[in-house]
Amino acid sequence: MSIVLKNLSKRFGTLVVVDRVSLDVTDSELFVLLGTSGSGKSTILRLIAGLIQPDDGRIMLHGRDVTMLPPQKRGTGFVFQNYSIFRHMSVADNIEFGLKIRRLSRLERVRKRDELLELVGMAGLGNRFADQLSGGQQQRVALARALAYEPGVLLLDEPFGALDVKTRSQLRRSLKEVQQKFSVTAILVTHDQDEAFELGDRIGVLERGRLLEIEHPEKLYAEPRTLFVATFLGAGTVLVGRTRDDQAHFGHLVLPIPQDVPHEDGTPVQVLFRPEQVSLTEEEPEDKSIVLGKGSVVEHSFTGALRRLRLRLPQLSATRQIAPVPPFGEQGILVDAVVPAERKITQSEFWVSLHGWRILQPPEPQLLVFDQGERGISTLMMAKKIAQQLDAQATLFSVTRDQDELESLRDRLNRRQQEADLAGAEVRVAIGKDPVEQLAVEQNSALYSMLLLAPQAKKRRSFARRNGRPERRRLRRISRLGTILVKVLDSAHLPVVVVKKERDAIRRILICTRGGEPGKTDVRVGGRLARRLKASVTLLYITEDSTKPGPIAHSHLERAALTLRSLDVPVETRIRTAKTPARGILAESREGDYDLIVVGRHEAESRSVFGRDDVTLQVLVGADRPVLVVPTTL
Amino acid sequence: MSASMRYAPGAAGRQSALIPAGILVLVLMPLLLMPLAAIFVFAFRGGLPEFWRALSDADAQFALRFSLLIAFATAIINAALGTFAAYVLSKYRFPGKETLGIVVNLPVAIPTVVVGTSLLLLWGPIGLLGQMLPADLQPMFTPVGVLLAHLFVTFPYMLGVIKPLLDELEVTYEEAAFTIGATRWQTFRYVILPALRGGLFTGALLTFAHSLGEFGATVMVSGNLRLRTQTAPLYIFAQFEAGNIANANAVAAVLAVLSFVIFFFLLRFTGRRARGGAKA
Repeated sequence: MSIVLKNLSKRFGTLVVVDRVSLDVTDSELFVLLGTSGSGKSTILRLIAGLIQPDDGRIMLHGRDVTMLPPQKRGTGFVFQNYSIFRHMSVADNIEFGLKIRRLSRLERVRKRDELLELVGMAGLGNRFADQLSGGQQQRVALARALAYEPGVLLLDEPFGALDVKTRSQLRRSLKEVQQKFSVTAILVTHDQDEAFELGDRIGVLERGRLLEIEHPEKLYAEPRTLFVATFLGAGTVLVGRTRDDQAHFGHLVLPIPQDVPHEDGTPVQVLFRPEQVSLTEEEPEDKSIVLGKGSVVEHSFTGALRRLRLRLPQLSATRQIAPVPPFGEQGILVDAVVPAERKITQSEFWVSLHGWRILQPPEPQLLVFDQGERGISTLMMAKKIAQQLDAQATLFSVTRDQDELESLRDRLNRRQQEADLAGAEVRVAIGKDPVEQLAVEQNSALYSMLLLAPQAKKRRSFARRNGRPERRRLRRISRLGTILVKVLDSAHLPVVVVKKERDAIRRILICTRGGEPGKTDVRVGGRLARRLKASVTLLYITEDSTKPGPIAHSHLERAALTLRSLDVPVETRIRTAKTPARGILAESREGDYDLIVVGRHEAESRSVFGRDDVTLQVLVGADRPVLVVPTTL
Repeated sequence: MSASMRYAPGAAGRQSALIPAGILVLVLMPLLLMPLAAIFVFAFRGGLPEFWRALSDADAQFALRFSLLIAFATAIINAALGTFAAYVLSKYRFPGKETLGIVVNLPVAIPTVVVGTSLLLLWGPIGLLGQMLPADLQPMFTPVGVLLAHLFVTFPYMLGVIKPLLDELEVTYEEAAFTIGATRWQTFRYVILPALRGGLFTGALLTFAHSLGEFGATVMVSGNLRLRTQTAPLYIFAQFEAGNIANANAVAAVLAVLSFVIFFFLLRFTGRRARGGAKA
């Protein structure tokens, strides 16, 4: 192994730029690190060269631990995006610089220099100075200069970033040739997908400091494991469905889940299909199992060799779309397809079926934190603690009506993020009139595992007196929690954690079942979370009758406990008597000092045995600790 | 647009340019031009032989030589010191950097007489440090004292020229040198210093010119001892006070000519660099 990185981490202030990156690059490999700006790719390169020091982890070059060595002692060749040719030295002197420092004889220097000039296609230009050369030529000189002293590894930091398209493709070919001729191990950093595909023996995709996948280019395209890689490289449709009986269900479409994709019943599962894996037929295909539906063409473009089509299909039940991003409020599924250009498109409707697809790995836990940049930072503090426990990433999300406020809001969120020490969180600000709507769009844009927000209580106002008593009580509760929160609860696809006051960590979880209501989903969602948080669970059953809880309660609790034990979660069960379910839940939560209460989103009108009121809102109003609300749609 | 205005046809255009230019020259006549001319008029009033006689006076000879020597030494020492200060202030981050950046530029703002006083209070025979030194190592009222004063007063000029150059020099040049294997010193010597060549020349000339004309601090710390610590400006002042106006004028004329020459070099050099920059 020429380059070995072990658990390399680097923080700038509270921002985690490189997050536990491990990587092996074999001898004479050209490895490409691909990522968007700010993904930490250049930082990794600078860490390898020794230009900055890691906070954690080790760097080995050719079996030698260089983590603590200064850049001079590491034997790397570095090519910068801005060329950095020494301006007062001729091209020849630039190339000879490393040789002079190594005290090579003049004869040897001249021989090497001429050989390199020839190799990079700059023969005869040794007497020129940087300001007499084009950008492409300067970068050729930089490459020759970095290779002159035969470094163990070659590091290229977006070397073609500042060049025009034509020069770029010429230089790519030269680089590959030179790299193979020298058989030097190289890491090239780029944000350009084409460049990565063309040059990379293998590609590593970085997102927010994490190395998501390392693969050969073709495999990376055809068989991505993560959503980010699937959508970052190439086009395609990504749908989210549910796992049931070891199969992925997207409405009527049922696809097998491969062995290597871990899955659990009831959890979300993602499928990717590329445009070239979509078949369009006029007749319904014989094999019904791969038919997505009948779609109408909404976009059609001609690109020379191919025609690109976008079709809209009817909505599939219990399925949502992540890519291409569906317009808000629009029903249906958008599918991109390509057909050869010679196939004329005369119809507006086709049967859409798949002849290839890829089930993606379950997503890494990701928290969506809704924060309007006001009041305390309890939500952010809680998010930080949960993110630490789950090893999750967090996104801070905010909505403003006003374009002008965008930057100040972003600044405020950044400050709050630092205050809460919520390292590595992404800050996103959307513009829109309705925060609830924007939040729904954001929930769809990525695979978040939960949403955190604080109640947005307003000052008490008297509500319309004409309403009946239960309705009035309900409105009063809504006014104490904020209409946004209540609307979010009703529209969320995600478990929602409502934070009034943060806890140090989540160790004890109270899952509330109540009379007659099995709440299977609540138990499953709470249980899965407990397992990942390594927390213990208490199952609570509230009954009105103090004397005899009855066999239903026991069997109900037993079944729920069994589910949790199968997830390896420590379980206790408890039966409590209370006037209303909400009172029982709140009393138990205080006595047991639980860190999190899990309740279902039980509607006021749901068929409950007693307490016709909205239990969820009652618990939310009364609770003095975080409450996880499991939406009915899960 | 400016070209079309300058070459605007018709007498009105030319006239309107002549009037303000004329006024400017008239205003500057008594302020700048005539005093300069007066030096030469008086210096040569007795004819060339008289001018030579005044210059060959032993005291005048010493004062001119001493001034040039001090200016030269100041330029050399502050070139090194100023570059070092600029390098540290530009390339390192440390607490108190802002304050230090202000402090090193203070000498421009302090009246030179105050500088002289403060040096006396520190190094003088009863000064804070001076009283600890043996009598034969006292710096005040010796050439060393004069040098100290000049170093103090001219310190910011080098820094002011070099620091912007270093700030502009992208860090990747140094990083490239580091990865190639150059030590910090080699990087400075072969990569940074050559990029500063022009600045070093400009800064040294500026320092030299200011040192040559320094009066306020020098008069305090030198004791104005003829043939020992008397610089050319001090000589001019002393001779003028003693009524030897011819002697004072001769040395003043030489100083003025020296200043013109330095100024000419500075203009040419910075002008060429500006044009070169525009071309690139």
